[in-house]
Amino acid sequence: MAAWGCLTAAMAFGVAACGDDDEPESGGAASEGGSKTLTVYSSLPLQGASRPQSEDVIKGIKLALKQKGGKCGEYPIKYESLDDATAAAGQWEAGATSDNARKAAQDKSAVAYIGEFNSGASAISIPITNDGGLLQVSPSNTAFGLTKGGVGAEPGEPDKYYPTGERTYGRVVPIDNIQGAALAQYMKDEGVTSVYILDDAEVYGKGVAKNTQTPAEKLGIKIAGSDSWDGGAANYRALADKIKATGADAVFTGGIIDNNGPQLYKDLHAAMPDAKLFGPDGMATVDFTKEIPAEVQAKTYLTAPTLSPEELPPAGQQFYKDYEAEYGEPQDEIDPYAVYGYEAMAVVCDAIAKGGEDRAAVVDAFFSTKGRESPLGTYDIDADGDTTLSDYGGYTAEGGKLVFNKVIKAAAA
Amino acid sequence: MESAAIPERPPRSRGELAREVFSKYGLIVLLAAMPVWFGIRDLADDGDLSRLANNMKDGLSNGAIWALIAIGYTLVYGIIELINFAHGDLFMIGSFVAFGMIGSVGLTIASAGLGLFLGLLLILVISMIACGTLNVMIERVAYRPLRDAPRLAPLITAVGFSFILQNVGLLWLGGSHTSVPDLISSQKELFSIAGVNVNNGDMLAAVVTIPLVIVLVNFISRSRIGRAMRATAQDPQAARLMGINVDTTISFTFLLGGLMAGAAGLIYALYQTDVWFFSGFIAGLLSFTAAVMGGIGNLKGAVLGGLIIGVIQQISDNRIGTEWTAAIVFAYLVLILVFRPQGLLGEQTREAG
Repeated sequence: MAAWGCLTAAMAFGVAACGDDDEPESGGAASEGGSKTLTVYSSLPLQGASRPQSEDVIKGIKLALKQKGGKCGEYPIKYESLDDATAAAGQWEAGATSDNARKAAQDKSAVAYIGEFNSGASAISIPITNDGGLLQVSPSNTAFGLTKGGVGAEPGEPDKYYPTGERTYGRVVPIDNIQGAALAQYMKDEGVTSVYILDDAEVYGKGVAKNTQTPAEKLGIKIAGSDSWDGGAANYRALADKIKATGADAVFTGGIIDNNGPQLYKDLHAAMPDAKLFGPDGMATVDFTKEIPAEVQAKTYLTAPTLSPEELPPAGQQFYKDYEAEYGEPQDEIDPYAVYGYEAMAVVCDAIAKGGEDRAAVVDAFFSTKGRESPLGTYDIDADGDTTLSDYGGYTAEGGKLVFNKVIKAAAA
Repeated sequence: MESAAIPERPPRSRGELAREVFSKYGLIVLLAAMPVWFGIRDLADDGDLSRLANNMKDGLSNGAIWALIAIGYTLVYGIIELINFAHGDLFMIGSFVAFGMIGSVGLTIASAGLGLFLGLLLILVISMIACGTLNVMIERVAYRPLRDAPRLAPLITAVGFSFILQNVGLLWLGGSHTSVPDLISSQKELFSIAGVNVNNGDMLAAVVTIPLVIVLVNFISRSRIGRAMRATAQDPQAARLMGINVDTTISFTFLLGGLMAGAAGLIYALYQTDVWFFSGFIAGLLSFTAAVMGGIGNLKGAVLGGLIIGVIQQISDNRIGTEWTAAIVFAYLVLILVFRPQGLLGEQTREAG
C-alpha cells in the first residue's frame, strides 16, 4: 500500500520521499528493559544516479546497528531511512531535504540524524537540525565551508549554518581542502602542467573547485581558466571547444554525477582526446564510470575519501568480510561509501550510549571523540566536527568500474 | 472646387519612428551583432574566422533539432491557437522510443554500413509514427472535447499532459541521464572545409532535417489536406461550410507535429548520446521560443527561429559562459518581440490575418 502511495505521489507531483524504517517500532516508548527507544534517522538520495551509493551506505548503517544488537548502550534504536531526493529532480532536492530534517528535529524520540549524502543538501538540513539541537553526522560530505571558514569557504560560512551558535554537525570523511590537495598532487603525479577548472555551480562543486585550484597553483600547475557547467544543458561541445582553445592538458570537474557528469566527460574527451579528466568524489561512483565509454574511462582520474579494503586497517577489512557475509555482495562491488555509512552509525551509536536520550549530551559525546579506532583508522573529531583522517584514494576507471590506484597522502593547503 | 479633404495621418512620434526603423533594419543588426563582434575579435586574435564558423556550424546542427520541435508548436498554434505545452515532452518520448528501439533492432556500436543505415531508418520511422500517433491521441482526449471551452481550459490540459508524459519518462528510464550507444560516432570528424569540422552528428541533423522540412513545406502549400489546414487556420467556420472536415484536419496537424517531434527525438538521442526525462521541458521551452521568435504559426519562421537559437546558444556557451546562455537567448527574444511583436517572418494566425 505504501508503495502505491509513493507511486501515486510520484505520478501526480513528481515527488517522492518514501523511506523505510527498521525495528523496533515502539518509537519513543520504554522497552522491556526499561530504557526508552530512541530514533536515528538517515537522509540520503534514494532516487537518481546516487541511489546505488545510498543503498550501500544504508546497508552499512544497518550492519553497524545489527552488530550492536540493535541497541546503543542500553537504548534500543529505531532506525528510519528517509529520502532527500525526488524522482523529478533525479537527485537531492531542497524541499525533500528540509522536510526530512524538520521531521527528525520535531520527533522527540530522535537523537541523531545521519546525512546528507550531498554537501549542498546538508547546507539546507544543518540549520534545521542545529535549531533542534540534534546531532547530524554525514558519511560523505566534503564541502569545506560546512564546518570551516576562511580561504575555500563562501562568505558567511560556516556560521550561517549554525543558528544556535553551537556546533551539532560532524562528518567521518576528510574535507575538501584535503581532497583538493590530494587532487592537485594526483594531477602533478600524472604529469599535468595546465588545468582548466570547472564546477557545477553548487555548494559542493564550487567549494571543491576552489580548494583544488589553490594547491594546484602551489604545485606549479598553470590554471588555464575556470568556468561553470549547466547540469541541464543538452551538451557541452561549445564549452569543450572553449577549453581546448586554452591549450590545457587536463580538466578538473568539481561537481556531482547527477549534474550530467557523463555527458560532460564525453564532450570534453571528444574535443580533447589527449586531455586527462580529473574529478572529485562527487564523480567517483560506479554509476558514473559505467556511463562513459572505454576511451573516456582511460583518461579519467578520480579521488574519493575511500580506500581499497587492502589499504584499510584490520577492522576495515573485517567490515568488508562482514558486509559480504550479510548481504551476499562481492567485495569488489561494495560501494566505497558503505564503510562510511557503517562508521557514521557506529560513532553515532557510541555517542548515544554515552549521552542517552539527551540530545545535547549526545552532541557533546560525539564532539569528545578522541583516538577512536575504527574500520577507517584511528581518528579524532575536532572542534569543528571534522575527522582527523586525511588519506584520499586515487582512482582510475576501467571496464566500467572504479579501480583503486593509490593512496594519496596530501597535506591541506 | 476644393477637393475632398483627406484626413491627414497624424505625425508619428519619434518612438514609433524608431521602432519602425528598428523593426526593418535594426533586427538584422541585432542578430548579426554577436557573430560580427566575435568575428572581429577572432580576426584580431587568430587571423581567421574558423572558430566562429565552427560555432555557427554547431549552432545550426543543434538548432535543427529545435527547429523540428518548433514546427510542432507552430503548426498547432497556427490552426487552433493553442500552445501545446505537452509537445516538448512528446519529443522526449520520441527520444526514449528511439533509445529503446536501438536494442530491439539489434544495433550496437559495432554496427556499420547498410545494416546501420537500414536500422536507423527503421527506428526513425517507428519514432515518428509513435510520436505522431501519440500526439493525435492527446488531441482527441485532451483538446477536442474542449474545442468550445474557454481558452484557458485546453491550456491547462496541455500542461497536464506535459506532466503526464514527463512522469511516463520518469517511470520508463528513471530520473538520471541515460547514455545512448554512440552508433554514428557522433563527434567523429567526417570532413573539414576551411577549418570547419563537420562531424557525423552534424551530418545526421542535416540529412534528416532538411528533407523533412522541404517535404513538409511543400506538402502544406501544395496538397489538398495542406490547403485544408490553411483554410482551417484562417477560418474554421468557413472551412467547415466549404466541406472541410475540420476535426480530421486538426488531427492531421497534430499528426504532422508529432512526426517531426519523433524525428527530432531520434536525432537528439544519436547526436547527444544521452536521453533524459526532463530534456523535453528544456527543449520545449527553447523550441517554443524559436516558434515565437520566427513568428508563431509561420512554418519557415519556426525553422529560422530554431536555427537562430541554436547559433546564439553555441556562441554564448563557447564565448561567454554556459551560465549566461539562457539569459542571452531570452534577452534576444524579448528584444525581437519588443520591436517586432509578430516575430521575424510574421505571424500566420487567425488573429494576425
